[in-house]
Amino acid sequence: MISANRRASRTVNLILLGILCAGAVIAMTPMLFMVGTAFKANAYLLDFPPRFIPETPTIDNFTTAIASRNFVGAFLNSAGVAVATTFFVTALSAMMAYAFARFQFRGKQALFYVMLGMMMVPAMTFIIPQFIVARSLGLPNKVWGLVLVYTAGPLAFNTFLLRGFFEALPRELEESALIDGASHFTIFRRIIIPLSTPALSTVAVFSFLGAWDEYIWALTVMTDPARRTLPVAIANFRGAHMTDWGLIFASSLIAVVPTVTLFIAFQRYFVQGLTSGAIKG
Amino acid sequence: MKRRLFVLCMVLALVLPLSVAQAQGGETVTLRFWHTYNETSTENQMLVETLIPMFEEAHPNIKVESVPFPYDDFRQALVTSMAGGEGPDLARLDIIWSPEFADLGALAALDEVMPDFQEFADRVFPGPLSTNYYAGHYYGLPLDTNTRVYMWNQTLYDQMGMEPPATIDDIRALCDVLPADTYAFSDGGTYGWAVLPWIWSFGGAITDPEITVASGYVNGEATVAAYEFLYEMVDSGCFSPAMLGGGPDSGTGYFTNLVAGILDGPWMFPIAAAQYPDFEIQTTLMPAGDGGSISVVGGENIVLFANSEHPEEAMEFLRFTQSVDYQLKMSETAQIAVLPELLEDPFYVNHPYFGIFLEQLQTAQARTPHPAWTQIEDVLSQAGQLILRGEMPAQEALDAAAEEIDALLAE
Repeated sequence: MISANRRASRTVNLILLGILCAGAVIAMTPMLFMVGTAFKANAYLLDFPPRFIPETPTIDNFTTAIASRNFVGAFLNSAGVAVATTFFVTALSAMMAYAFARFQFRGKQALFYVMLGMMMVPAMTFIIPQFIVARSLGLPNKVWGLVLVYTAGPLAFNTFLLRGFFEALPRELEESALIDGASHFTIFRRIIIPLSTPALSTVAVFSFLGAWDEYIWALTVMTDPARRTLPVAIANFRGAHMTDWGLIFASSLIAVVPTVTLFIAFQRYFVQGLTSGAIKG
Repeated sequence: MKRRLFVLCMVLALVLPLSVAQAQGGETVTLRFWHTYNETSTENQMLVETLIPMFEEAHPNIKVESVPFPYDDFRQALVTSMAGGEGPDLARLDIIWSPEFADLGALAALDEVMPDFQEFADRVFPGPLSTNYYAGHYYGLPLDTNTRVYMWNQTLYDQMGMEPPATIDDIRALCDVLPADTYAFSDGGTYGWAVLPWIWSFGGAITDPEITVASGYVNGEATVAAYEFLYEMVDSGCFSPAMLGGGPDSGTGYFTNLVAGILDGPWMFPIAAAQYPDFEIQTTLMPAGDGGSISVVGGENIVLFANSEHPEEAMEFLRFTQSVDYQLKMSETAQIAVLPELLEDPFYVNHPYFGIFLEQLQTAQARTPHPAWTQIEDVLSQAGQLILRGEMPAQEALDAAAEEIDALLAE
């Protein structure tokens, strides 16, 4: 009886494993195709049927991309913008989330829902008004033109995420700290922050990714070629009539390196953080 | 003491360049020139490394800042910048965008602000020039031109024992002799650039010549016949499913002997040279139907923006783009010049492949020059998908499209 059960569960596990493997293959195929093409010279037209390993692999695409005007500059611009955005988003959303989680003040619920409401509006509908505001603030072609917008965008979601996490932390810790004479800021800094590294890492990785990958706003607001970011620099390798896909894929691979590194570095916290607050509802 | 010396140096450092510039007569003006030349392309290299320096040398008080944009998002970026009151001094626009930006009031009417406009207008091909005309004024000058010709695959034609096609019936005849797993023709979709040569060569049209109404034209007999032909060809597997998003990319199929023919532009030659160096592209005119052999005009215009702060300097650069020097240099990068006088130039006389494009250009037509063209093309493209997938008869889909396009034209 027991062994029959075990056999059944083993079969189920095998089936699950098969499905997961198939999913992994499907998810990896485009990535492998991209890597293969990146090492191919003159890939204006993609092979049919797709070929994953080039006949004569070359690193020319990588050297061409790096040597092209503005690519290295764009990489550094993106890095600066993404790091600044990550800092501001993490710091501000943590403080806002703490306030929403622990303080009682008039209009708290209403304010929270208004903030969540902002998440429901597609960013694209904002672009023209946003541009007009940015222009009146003198932001086009300034780093702040990107950092401000990239920070404002994900604040609502991250505050929502962190509030759930903070609320799940035991109140008793804070109460005993209060009795010991700690201020709210001390509690936030000494208790809440250290206990929330998984959630904060999630926020940091997400906001870094968002700022690193953003394209339309960066294209619109940064018209000085020397101040453009990486996604725009990569898109500029595309032509109206002919595009060297090897070059696009090689430069995209370069762009993926920091995000993958970041993900691996935070992986331990990341998966933990994603599910945090889930049970709290 | 040290600090004072430092301050003095700073002041001098600030003032000296100014006074030098003053001595040269006037300050330096920087022009912003936005375009869609791919960053690593030969066109961009020619522009940035040869042509702009040539211009700046002749005009020491003008600097030209070249700003590349990706083609697909250029229109959107430009619209947003214009709405925010920012924007370039000059731009290189796809000819299909000119009427839209003129209609938005973004462009300066060159025939009003440029005293010698007519002199330049008289020197260029009339077809490309006409794409700058909107509501009584000219809003730019042509920069380069191109069209699609029929490119046939030598290997497959030899295998089939066929001659290069002269008519659409010749194309139809290929279906019976096609080798297994190959296609007679392929294209990338049902957008205007792809379907218009067929529509026009069948004798059809999108609107009346005055661009006031689409009913009776886009759903007229000849246009419907063109779509029915395409449906029949795709449905029977004679044409590649690429028009519906399947099968090999048309270019790949053509170069790898899977597709017997494509319609394409002069840029295919540099692609072939780089990626398929052993392949020889064979060309002939667009196969003719009842309407003749009519292909579609492509290319770009150069426009001056109405809120440019330096219109005089910008017009100086605009004039430079119309010069023999500029046009010949750009021709070296596979862009066809807009000056008829260059046809006599040895570069053009001896050119290996420009000849067929120039011949096709004599009958080629421009896509509907209307501010709503982008939306009109969407309607057309979706109707094409419905028809070619066999989800709706051509007449029914085009009747619906005519109604939608009529509404767009009436706005």
